[in-house]
Formats: sequence, C-alpha cells, structure tokens
Amino acid sequence: MNNQLSPIWTHLTSEGRNTGTWRSALPNYQNQPSPCHGACPVHGSIAAWIKQVKDKDYHGAWLTLVENNPFPAIAGRICHHPCETACNRGELDETVGICSLERFVGDMALENGWVFPDPEVERTQKVAVIGGGPAGLSAAYQLRRHGFQVTLLEVSGGLGGLMRHGIPAYRLARDVLEGEVSRITAMGIDVRLGVEVADKEALARLHGEYDAVFLATGASLPKRLPGLDYDQNFVMDSAEFLAASPKAQITATGAHVLVIGGGSAALDVARSARRLGREVTVMSLEAEGHLPAQAVELTEAAEEGIRFVSGAMMVSASQHEEKVTVQAQMVDFQPGNGPGKFTAEPIKDSTFALTVNTIIPAIGQDADLDRWSGLLSAEGPVLDTTPGNWQTNHKGIYAGGDVASMSRFVTHAVGMGKEAAHAIAATLATDLPAPPPSQQAEVAYARINTAYHPRHSRNLQELAATDARLKTFDEVQQPLGPDAALSEAARCFSCGTCIFCDNCFFYCPDMAITRLGGAYEVKLDYCKGCGLCVAECPTGSIHMQEEAR
Amino acid sequence: MKDTSYKDEGQFCSGHVACAGCAEALSMRVILNAVGEDAVGVVVPSCVAIILGGHPTSSARIPFIHGVLESAAAMASGVKQALVAQGKEDTTVLCLAGDGGTYDIGLQALSSAAERNEDILYICFDNEGYMNTGGQKSSSTPRAAATGSTPHGKTTRKKNLIEILAAHRIPYIATASTSHLPDLAAKVEKAKTIRGMKVIIVVIPCLPGWGVADNAVAKVSRLAVESGVFPLIEVEDGLKYTMNVDEKTQPIGPYLDQQKRYRHLSNEDREGLQLDVDESWNRLVEMADR
Amino acid sequence: MNAPVRNENLQLVSGNHAVAWGVKLVSPDVAPLYPITPQTPIFEKLVDFQSDNLLSTRLITPESEHSAMAAAIAASATGARVFTATSSQGLLLMHELLHYAAGARLPIVMFNVNRTPAAPWGFWPDQIDSLAQRDTGWVQLYSETPQESLDSTVQAFRIAEASNLPVMVNHDAFYVSHAVEPVSIPAADLVQSYVPKSVRELRLDTGLGHTIGAPIGQEGWNRSRRQMDAAMQTITGLTHEAGQEWEKLTGRSYGPLETYRTDGAEMVFITMGSMAGTAREAVDVLHQKGIKAGLIRVRLFRPLPIAELSTALAEIPRALVLDRNYSPGMGGVLHQELLAGLFGINNPPCIHGFLAGVGGVNVPVEALEKLATEYRNAEPDNNPIWVD
Repeated sequence: MNNQLSPIWTHLTSEGRNTGTWRSALPNYQNQPSPCHGACPVHGSIAAWIKQVKDKDYHGAWLTLVENNPFPAIAGRICHHPCETACNRGELDETVGICSLERFVGDMALENGWVFPDPEVERTQKVAVIGGGPAGLSAAYQLRRHGFQVTLLEVSGGLGGLMRHGIPAYRLARDVLEGEVSRITAMGIDVRLGVEVADKEALARLHGEYDAVFLATGASLPKRLPGLDYDQNFVMDSAEFLAASPKAQITATGAHVLVIGGGSAALDVARSARRLGREVTVMSLEAEGHLPAQAVELTEAAEEGIRFVSGAMMVSASQHEEKVTVQAQMVDFQPGNGPGKFTAEPIKDSTFALTVNTIIPAIGQDADLDRWSGLLSAEGPVLDTTPGNWQTNHKGIYAGGDVASMSRFVTHAVGMGKEAAHAIAATLATDLPAPPPSQQAEVAYARINTAYHPRHSRNLQELAATDARLKTFDEVQQPLGPDAALSEAARCFSCGTCIFCDNCFFYCPDMAITRLGGAYEVKLDYCKGCGLCVAECPTGSIHMQEEAR
Repeated sequence: MKDTSYKDEGQFCSGHVACAGCAEALSMRVILNAVGEDAVGVVVPSCVAIILGGHPTSSARIPFIHGVLESAAAMASGVKQALVAQGKEDTTVLCLAGDGGTYDIGLQALSSAAERNEDILYICFDNEGYMNTGGQKSSSTPRAAATGSTPHGKTTRKKNLIEILAAHRIPYIATASTSHLPDLAAKVEKAKTIRGMKVIIVVIPCLPGWGVADNAVAKVSRLAVESGVFPLIEVEDGLKYTMNVDEKTQPIGPYLDQQKRYRHLSNEDREGLQLDVDESWNRLVEMADR
Repeated sequence: MNAPVRNENLQLVSGNHAVAWGVKLVSPDVAPLYPITPQTPIFEKLVDFQSDNLLSTRLITPESEHSAMAAAIAASATGARVFTATSSQGLLLMHELLHYAAGARLPIVMFNVNRTPAAPWGFWPDQIDSLAQRDTGWVQLYSETPQESLDSTVQAFRIAEASNLPVMVNHDAFYVSHAVEPVSIPAADLVQSYVPKSVRELRLDTGLGHTIGAPIGQEGWNRSRRQMDAAMQTITGLTHEAGQEWEKLTGRSYGPLETYRTDGAEMVFITMGSMAGTAREAVDVLHQKGIKAGLIRVRLFRPLPIAELSTALAEIPRALVLDRNYSPGMGGVLHQELLAGLFGINNPPCIHGFLAGVGGVNVPVEALEKLATEYRNAEPDNNPIWVD
C-alpha cells in the first residue's frame, strides 16, 4: 500500500470487528415437543418421523415410529388420534392426517418385511407378561428390545386382544394385525397361548418365577344394562358378538338389530350387523353430535344406512313371537367427572317404542379385579398403580391397559405398556440410558412462521363405495398413495423439530450461522441477537435465550 | 415448503455495522453474492455506505468507491467506461444507493445514465426516507407516513420511480423484497446477463425509521408484498410488465400495524391508503395485461 | 511569450482546438464532457477526432458538469487516465466534486475556460471561476496562448500522475480560447514518451479488493490533508521538471513563472493568462520611455510558487499586480495572495493591486503605461484599485 494514500484506500475486511458484543440474547437451537407429541398416548416423536417421510426416508420413519409403538399399521387405522386434534396446523387450514401417514409407513414396513432391530444386549432377567392385547404386546416388545427374556401368557387362542376380538376387519384387516403381531413375537418372545393366570395365587407363583410381571388382562366383564334380561335369546352381548365368526353372528341376529351404546364398540357392532344384511338402529344416551365414537365412524355408519336414535334410553324390552318391542324414553344426558360417569334424566312425556328382533348392548366392559383381591389393591374399577411407572401395590408386579385405566383406547394401552416396560427395565438393569428429560413446553402455533407453509387442504384417504362396503368386511378406508403421502407429510409444520431448511442460515444479515450438516452453530463473534432466524424459522425450533454478560 | 436459498460464496463479510436485524444488510448479502467477484461497486452516502464500512475496512470483497450522494449513476458510468477502456467489458458495475440518492438528489444523474443506457446494475435500497440522517421524508416516502420532517404524516404520494424509469425504456427494472430472497437473487442474476441499464428497487423496512421490531423485517417485507403495497414486478424495455406475485392476499391493515410510522392513522386514513394501494395495483395489472 | 520554435506541423488553430490536440496526443482512456460556452469547441473537436477514428478515448456525455466530474472521478479511481473540460458555471457546479477528486488523490486533468459567472449572465474572460476553486486541492496552471494551452495540457498529465493530484489548466475565454494562431502540433509518439501510461497500483479493479473514500476518523482525515500538503510541496519542482523535459523535446520551455525584462527592473507587472500579452507590450513601451519595467507571469497559481516569486522579486522595488478577477470584499485574488505570500521576505517590494479587466473589459497598453507612470513613486495601498 502506498503510505501516502493510506487514508484514501483500504483493503481490509470487516471480519475483524466483533459485533457479538452488541447482543443481549442468542439464538438457541433446541428441538421442542410438538402438540401432537404431547397429545399422543405413546409420545410418538411424530414431527420427527414425518420429517423423515418428507425426506423419503421411509425406513427411518418406521424405525422412529416403532421406538414408541410397534403397531404403526394398526394405529394408522384405528387410533383415536388425539395427535390430530392437537395439531397446530388446524389453526391455518386443516390438521395434518397423521394417522393416514402412519398407516402409509406401517403398510410399507409390512409390504417390505422390515423387521425390528435385534436387542443390543441379551439380558438374563425374565419378565412375564400376562395378556396378549395391545398393552401386553407393547410391554413385551419394549422389554425384548431391551434384551430381557419375555414370556407372554394369553388366555385365548390368539394374540391381539381387543384388536383381534373387538375390532372388525373392515376397520383393521386381519393380515395387518397378524403382520404386526407376528413381527413382535419373532423377536424371540416365549408366547404361551391358552394359558390363564386365574387367581392371585397363580399370579404370586408366577411372580416368584420371574423378575417382574406385567399384568394386562383387559376388561373382560360386560357392563350390564338395567332393565334388560340378558338370558333372553334376543339379547347378545357386544363383546361376544364381535368376537364371534360372521357365521355365528348371522345365526345370532334377527332382521332388525338394536345396538345400545354410542362408543366405538357400539358402532363396530352396528356396522358389522349391517354387513350381515341387517337393519340396524343405534340408540345412545348421548345426544346427536355428542356420541363418544370417532366422527369418522359415525359418518361412515350413517353412509352405510344405520339409523341413530340419540339421547334416549331403553326402559324395557319384551318379545312377542319374532318381534321385540322396546320401550324407550328421551333423556337429558350429562357427562360426569371422569370416564364412565354420567347422569341421564328422563324427559317427561317422551316415551316411544321401537320394534326390533335383536338387542346388542355395547355399553362397555369392566376389568375383573376380584381374582387379584388380597394381592393387588384396586382404586375404583381399576388396579391401584403408581402414576408413570404402573407398578401395583405389589412390588415387581406392574399393570396396564384396561385393567389399570378407564381410558378404553388401544393406543393408550400401547403407551401404558411402553411406560411400564421402561419402568421395569430401569429397575432390572442399571446400564440403560436415563429416561428422556422432563417434558418441555410444547411449541405453540404462534411460534410457527406460517409464511413458509402454503395453504393446502388435507389429503384425504379415499373410502370404498358404500354399496361395496356392505357386501364384505374389506377395509373401508383406502391408503394414501405415495404422492398424496408426500403431499400430506409436506403439510406438517414439524413443530419444534429442525428440518434443516437453512432459513436461519439464509436470513442472517450477519452471516453468523454456520451449517455443520445436520446441525447449526452460531458464530458468537458476529451474532447481534436480532432474532430474525427465530422469526423466520418455519418449525419453531430455535428460540432466543437471554445472555447475561 | 417455500425455498429461501441463494448462492453465498462469502462476498459479504461479517462484522459490518448494520443495525441488528437490518434488511438492507440481508439484501446486500444476497446481492453481493449474486453479483460475484467480477465486479466493481459504487456506493453513495446512505445506510448501505455505512454498512459497507468505514476506513480501514469494507464488508464487501469487491472494491467500492464511496461516491457523492447525487452522483451514483454518473460515477458508475465512469467506472464502467474506465473498465471498458481497459478491456474489461464483462465486469459488472454495481451501484448501491438509497432512495434519497435515487428518487431525490440522484435522479438527474440516474435519468441521464438511463437515457445513455449505461451498462450498470443499479440497486436502490428503498427505505422510504432519509433514515441514515435520523428519518426525514424523501420523495419515496408514502402518503401518511410520519417522518422527522412530516411529523403528522406526509401529505403527498410516493414518487412512482418505476414508471419514470420505464419511460426511459431501459432494458430491465425490477422490484424485490427480503421476504423473497431467491427472487431477489434471481433478479440480480438475470440483470447481470443484460447489457445496458438495470435498476432493482429493494424494499427495506427500516427498524428505527419505520418503527419495526428487530426480528420483523422479513415479516414486514412479506406483508408489503402480500398486501400489494410493494408489488414484486419486472419491467423489460420499459414496456413489458410482469407481476411476480400476481395476487394481493392481505389488506393493508396488518402491514400498517407492524410499523410505528403509521400508528397515528385514523380508520379513515387507513381506508384511504387501501384505496391508494388498490388503485396502484389495478394500474399495474392493466400494464401487465397489455 | 514563446512562439513555436520548431516548425514541424504548424497549424492555425484556436486556443480550444489546441487543447483538444493536446488531449488527442495524450490519448486519455475516458473523457466525460458537457458543453458550455466558451469551452464547447474543446468538446466538439474531441468528438470530431473520435468520429474520424483518431481518438480512442471513451467519451461520456452526461447531463451536467457535475456528473461529468463524478464520472471523471470514478473513472480515474478505476485506473483510467481521465480528461474533462468546462467553464464558469460548469466549474462552479463541480465545486463539491473538486474537493473529492483532490481528496481522493486522483490525477485527473481538467481544462477550464475562464469565464464570468452569473449573475448577471456574461460570457467574458474573467478568472474568478477558477480562482474560487483555489482551496479544493487542485493544481492550477494559467495559459497565455493557444500553443501554451496545448503544451500545458500535456504537461498537466505528467504533473498530475507524478503527484496524484488533479490539475486544472485555465485559459481566458475568447482572448485565448477562440484566438487562432499558428500552433506547433507535436508528434504523437513524442507525447506518449513524455507521458507514458502506467498501471496504478491503487485502483478499483477485480481481485484487488481496494476500496476508496470510505468514511474515516478525524485523525485519518487530518492525515489525508497532511499528505496532500506534502504532495503540494512537490508541485513547483514537478512543474519545473515537466517544463524542462518538454523543452528538450520541443524547444519550448516552461516553469512556474515566466519573467520578462526583470533584470534591473524598477517595477514589474505581475499577472496571469492573456493579460500578460498586453503587459509585455507595455513593458517594451515603458522601456522606450526610460522606465525600466518588467513582467512576471504567474503560470502556476496553485500551489503559489512563493520561493520562486521571492527570488524573482529580490532586486525589484515595486510590483503592480493586475487581477482579471474580483473577490468581493478583498479585491484581486492574486494581489492578496502575493501580499500574504511575500509577507516577511527581505526587501519586499511595494505591491500595488489593480482590478484590471474584470468582466473581460479591454485593458489597452496605454492603460498599463499610465498605471506605471502614476504609481512609479506612489506609496503602496493594500486596497485594490479599479482600472478604467
């Protein structure tokens, strides 16, 4: 440089100036739970696996899914999806079809024969799981992943519990059930079918032989409807009906079937009966629009020609020859505090009569707790367990599913099985990684920069034509195709999960963000703390953290 | 998801002194990288000159002359002709100015360079006022906006520089926004391939001058585009108008609400501004339909 | 004044065309130009040269002198050799940029045709336009004849490029600009060897990363002026050197000052530009009348060559300064400059200041003869005297 011109010319860059000193807050990259994750009974890392679907890493998506739930193909069909109810996208246009995506990935796994990874270590400790329903299978699966020796005892001749005996094939195809159940048993689980643990002595004996026991015997006792004589030949219990073969179902029902109840089981009965060619009426205490069954079930049932008499209760039923006259009355139904609790005040001068041939009450099931009495203590209709780890009052005996909770959802049962399995594992093995940190706040809608998410209505699963449905028990809901699945995955905000879109990198006016390939680093010398990266983050996975200086 | 990527080869350096969250610095990052290393720059007094930096440093890797306020286009002409005289016809001459240096004091030189169709890429960082001197109105300040010299709001409309430039029939005019970074980069890339005068006007919501939150410049720019206050367009040869975003998806309200310079407005004022926007928009639509 | 001493390629040209010839021979890279009376013939002649493919300089024709100078600055900063020309209002419009050009140490050469500024409008020879730019940092040369205007234009590039200071050469409107005389046009290769083009280390160019003119602190700005001051100190020497080298090539010699019959003079006229011709004739007439008069023509006004002036005036008791300009409230600029510059020297002469020819009015030989007679024994008066 010509010294005589030094004040005129310059060729240094500004990189020597530390503008980081201007800052009072620093962007912090931290994935946070999405509302769907929080709502999911298995806390299924939904944003993470949908991100993998976006990237067409379907196998990766499946592996993420099955960390928490071994039944993606099943859950994708029958889950009551509180995740979708919680989905932030609902505030923009429509919630993301999480179940349809889960089914897409689950089906792909079955089609491709993907198997679970082998346990990293084999452990010598033995755990007995009693009950082969969703809770028991989930617990057995998680324990086996940890390397424990698992024995699964099932009283019936097949695994699946309610999924096999309570959910009709038009909602859950049997090959899907078989596929996902057999994939669990193939992990090296000692399955013993037709084995009953009948009483507390048997349970205690079993506990003596195993390091831990998980009890998931379900709710096997039907609730009884007052005013109905269950011994009459025109009355059939819903669980019995659903578990029966179609042939037995035909034999057991007349031309017009009255189903009493408003939940999923009632709808399953009703729609099965329709497929047998029956005229079907569903009578529920709950008024129209308040039935506890899923909306989609109600819609499909209505399409299938099922008649609803809502907000009514049966008073009496009497048979004359083939016909059953049902006296009923409209009621004012009010849900009570907690599952299964309610009041139903009859409305004056609202009696009416129905003429049917068969009555199938479907008002729920209770767990049989008496047989454990003296060993395990109960809390109302369920076993008394410690919140979070599902251990009963008897150390080493854990319980989950309908025997331990009044929440009658398959995915809840799967979640309980998972939590109990992790609790058991933590007790039996000290080398396991610590459980995930305590729950952080979920990412709110306001944290999502919706400018990056163009409006797009939900990609709906197609339904089989109504008349075709009524001829078979084939699945009603048809899967998303690959394009629709990718389109639907693209709708996911990925709330709280960095998708490495690089918006933060490209929006930094100070070039203060470095891309590390799967991570970002903030250059402390240059970041001025403006927060533009946070504002332009489409997923809400960065936030400003105040800096004390 | 909408893409925000653009080429970044390090042509704009960290350590510059733009306000935290400045849209102008962000635009410079996009523009300098799109222009690349075969370029010489002219900058005139404005925030952009401050951001480029005081002696002995520069935040740009390409050389710049810090010229005088009214002479951006004239100086760029001088650089270009000097380069051509030295056999460097293909080197891009990049000219950076604010709206004061473009709409006001520099308009004469700009018009002349446009008339001569000098081979210059002229960028106007339009923050709608003299923000570097503390926020006074320029002829780019929109009606009703409060500034240091229009404390109760400006009473006249923003000068329509696009139509003035179009009347010169220069090969390329475009508008751009930090809400659409790839669009900005693409317009610079396109301009580079065109011989003759190119002008790109970038809307720059000014953090202190407009009263915008530190993290909100992209949001405000986006609202400016979506409401049609600042339409993204291209004009080729002064005749062919293209609207890059051809739909108004927002009323003016959310755009105004983000800024302190409009907070004195009555509902009637706001409706008046909406009418201004609608009228200008319809005029553009007509031009684009021709 | 120096008549052409070598007869090769003598052409009858005006002062302005002589300038254009000088520019053509130097062949700058870029020349931004804007027309203004009485500069326009320079512009038009350069355009003619270019149209005839005799000049490769890239002409820029912007909308104003301001933009012309802005383009000149930028082109110069980009490493080009740059020329421009103007007059009066145009020069005044450039004023801001004259500071810039000098502050940025850009070796631009500009030719200015001295003309009265408005108001009232006038188109007459008067040097106040350029003298008013004395503090901008430009070297200023004043030419008396078309030949000198050509020669000074060429020399200006040599001085500018040696010092990194811009140089302004001036001649008077019409008296010189439009006066047609035989002018010796040097050969192009002679001029090119005299002002060879070189690549400047500091310039705007790709790959260099050098930036010019960025805002700087007080200390840096102060340093820039100290460095300009140092550069200014070299100009008198460079002017000598440029004139001597030019003499070797052309036989025509130039320096910061021209003296005429000053040896043993009892009084001298001191002036600049075309007034020197009248003064030279007056000197001869006065000698015939027994008055030993002489002439000092200031060719280099900025920087003012004080040492040379002191030497030239050492034995001369009386100086009559003829200013074709008027600085309101102070009088003639050259007069005031000499009073200040020569203050404190040994045996200072009696200095009389005359406002002679302001606004282009004719000052005949007889008027100067009369002045010399009247002021031969007068006490000096620091106030200017208007010459009728």
